[in-house]
Amino acid sequence: MKEKETGMGERIRRFSTSLIVEHWVHVFAFVVLVVTGISQKFFSLDLSRWLILKLGGIDNVRLIHRCAGIVFMVAASVHIVGASVGIVLKKRQPSMVITKNDLTDAVRDLRYYLGAENSPALCDRYTYKQKFEYWGILTGGLLMIATGLVLWFPTFVVGFLPGQVIPVAKALHSNEALVIILLIAVWHIYNSIFSPEVFPLDTSIFTGYISRERMSREHPLELMRIENRTQDEAGRKRRRKARKLETEEMSR
Amino acid sequence: MQKIRRILVVLIPLLLAGAALTDGADAKDIVLSDEAGTCLGCHGKQGIVKTFENGELLSAYVSPEKFAASVHNFLPCSGCHSDFSSDNHPSRRFRSKKQYQIKTSRECRRCHGDQQLKENPIHAGLLRAEGEGKPAVCTECHGAHSVSPIKGGKVFASETQYCLGCHGHPLSMAFRNGEQLSLSVDKKLLDTSVHGKLSCSDCHYGFSSEEHPQRIFKSGREYTLASSESCRRCHFDKYSKTIESIHYTVLSKGNLKAPVCTDCHGAHSISGGSRERSLTTKRCQRCHPAIYDVYARSIHGKALFDEKNQDVPVCIDCHKAHDILNPHTLDYRERIPTMCSNCHANKAIMGKYGLSTDVVKTYLSDFHGVTLGFYRKQRESLDKPARPIAVCTDCHGTHNITSTRGTDAAVLKANLVQRCQQCHKDAPRDFPNTWLSHYEPNMKSAPLVFLVNLLYKIFIPVLVVGLFLQILLHIWRYAVDR
Repeated sequence: MKEKETGMGERIRRFSTSLIVEHWVHVFAFVVLVVTGISQKFFSLDLSRWLILKLGGIDNVRLIHRCAGIVFMVAASVHIVGASVGIVLKKRQPSMVITKNDLTDAVRDLRYYLGAENSPALCDRYTYKQKFEYWGILTGGLLMIATGLVLWFPTFVVGFLPGQVIPVAKALHSNEALVIILLIAVWHIYNSIFSPEVFPLDTSIFTGYISRERMSREHPLELMRIENRTQDEAGRKRRRKARKLETEEMSR
Repeated sequence: MQKIRRILVVLIPLLLAGAALTDGADAKDIVLSDEAGTCLGCHGKQGIVKTFENGELLSAYVSPEKFAASVHNFLPCSGCHSDFSSDNHPSRRFRSKKQYQIKTSRECRRCHGDQQLKENPIHAGLLRAEGEGKPAVCTECHGAHSVSPIKGGKVFASETQYCLGCHGHPLSMAFRNGEQLSLSVDKKLLDTSVHGKLSCSDCHYGFSSEEHPQRIFKSGREYTLASSESCRRCHFDKYSKTIESIHYTVLSKGNLKAPVCTDCHGAHSISGGSRERSLTTKRCQRCHPAIYDVYARSIHGKALFDEKNQDVPVCIDCHKAHDILNPHTLDYRERIPTMCSNCHANKAIMGKYGLSTDVVKTYLSDFHGVTLGFYRKQRESLDKPARPIAVCTDCHGTHNITSTRGTDAAVLKANLVQRCQQCHKDAPRDFPNTWLSHYEPNMKSAPLVFLVNLLYKIFIPVLVVGLFLQILLHIWRYAVDR
């Protein structure tokens, strides 16, 4: 987590390049899966029919859906393995783990919204809202992968599981898809686009940087930790810059 | 010498009559010959009967009015009855009426020579038959004492009556391959047919009381094919439908056995659509006996033949009557659920037999049905799917559909898995259970599916409401803080 100074104000590095890439991969897989999946779920709508015919027929749409499913599956696996390795081997802070604080934060925020508190909860790297979304999507995604595979290879699955697994998997896949879409469309899109705190767009996942001002408001605990850790370096940097300005003025 | 005189007796009055006719055709006051007057003295009264050796009877009565109206009215009786004269009345013996008629017909030929007769195709045909030992009887068609010319002569009540003058009698036509076709028409059948009010030439165009062209066909089949062309002059809608049919395709490829209009509808006995539906199946049976037998043993066939049930489908309900499509195409296959749903989605019909109408709905909302829906749409566009998808008949059978009622569930499942395996090659034994068997999922048929759907039905609205409340609160607080 580096700190950087710009003309507009301080920016703080929030996401590494690999996380930015990962987000893009998920955006791509998600959009393709939703477009090809929802048009199959609501097959009787005119829009779905038009789309499926435009994509070259139902068999093509199913093929595209499965390909995007593989991309999603790989990306999710990479994420889970990467996070596990990071936590277990590199002793990284497990920032997404839900703690007792998240519950108290949520209650405090609710009281704040209702006017019972004067300030919102102080959050760390990820707020309870972000954790809720993350775990919702992660568990939902795993369910989608599992049920998707069952639907892809029904004859294999029924070899060792009862037949009713298939319609159950279909019901789960179809309903859970709706849950995930609603989470993204309502919660994620609100929080990263329409929320007055970030409007018109929270660019941090695309640029990797977040403003210090937003950081202090949304993730004050993390900011504090960063600044403590990098205080010396930051001070040095500032002094260097001041010296540079001084010499420039003198030379003028 | 006597012969010459006899010829003159005939010729002179003929020439005179010819002159008289050219002078004024309206000369009505024709005077019968003295000889005719003498003969009619006896033969103009009812009751004189000639008996033949075989016991047949022939009335020797001659109606003076009809004779006077005939074209031969100027002739003396001996002009035709050459053995007789006013002072000579020989007694002759004939074996039968037919023998007598043949003998009499020879009298006609004395004046109406072969050369003249050959010009008319009907007569030419009769002359050919005579050469083969089947002598014709002139009076059968032309009458005897009431003989009249064909052209502009005797006025018939209708054209049909005119044609039946000959075609009401045993007549036949020979084809080049030696086949014979009876040309006689049964008046009774004709009258009861739906075309009873039509004239012969409405169908047999080119023929009339004026014209009777001679046509030569290779075979009886070729004649039938040519004749059925007549139908389209009125029934063009049906004709244009048959053009799309498999029968027409087969026919145009050279298979003359393919049925045409008259093969199913008949010709002179043509009747309207049959109210007794089993009769329709009999027409198809003629060429498709094996399928008919299978159908007759199916649940539909049994109901039709054993119970006289008129609700069950017959051949034409699925295959249609005129635009019969090739049933082996994917296109046809994809129409099958629509065919079945004509009855099986109809509550009025299914209610009578306690059958569920959900079968079509559940099929169409299931994997196979949804895929089928898109395949049908795709067939209209460029991406034509080459893969068949399971339709009703793949599990239920086609002509051999049987009821599943009263069959043990385990047996049904064992039979069904074999059907599944036709597409899902390594489908295991429990594979039929992957399918909800035409039921909307409920606690009894598919409890797990039902519960999953129910839980999400509760969870999703709660989630959405919760998220929106959170968002609204957030915005509200933000606005208050400013």
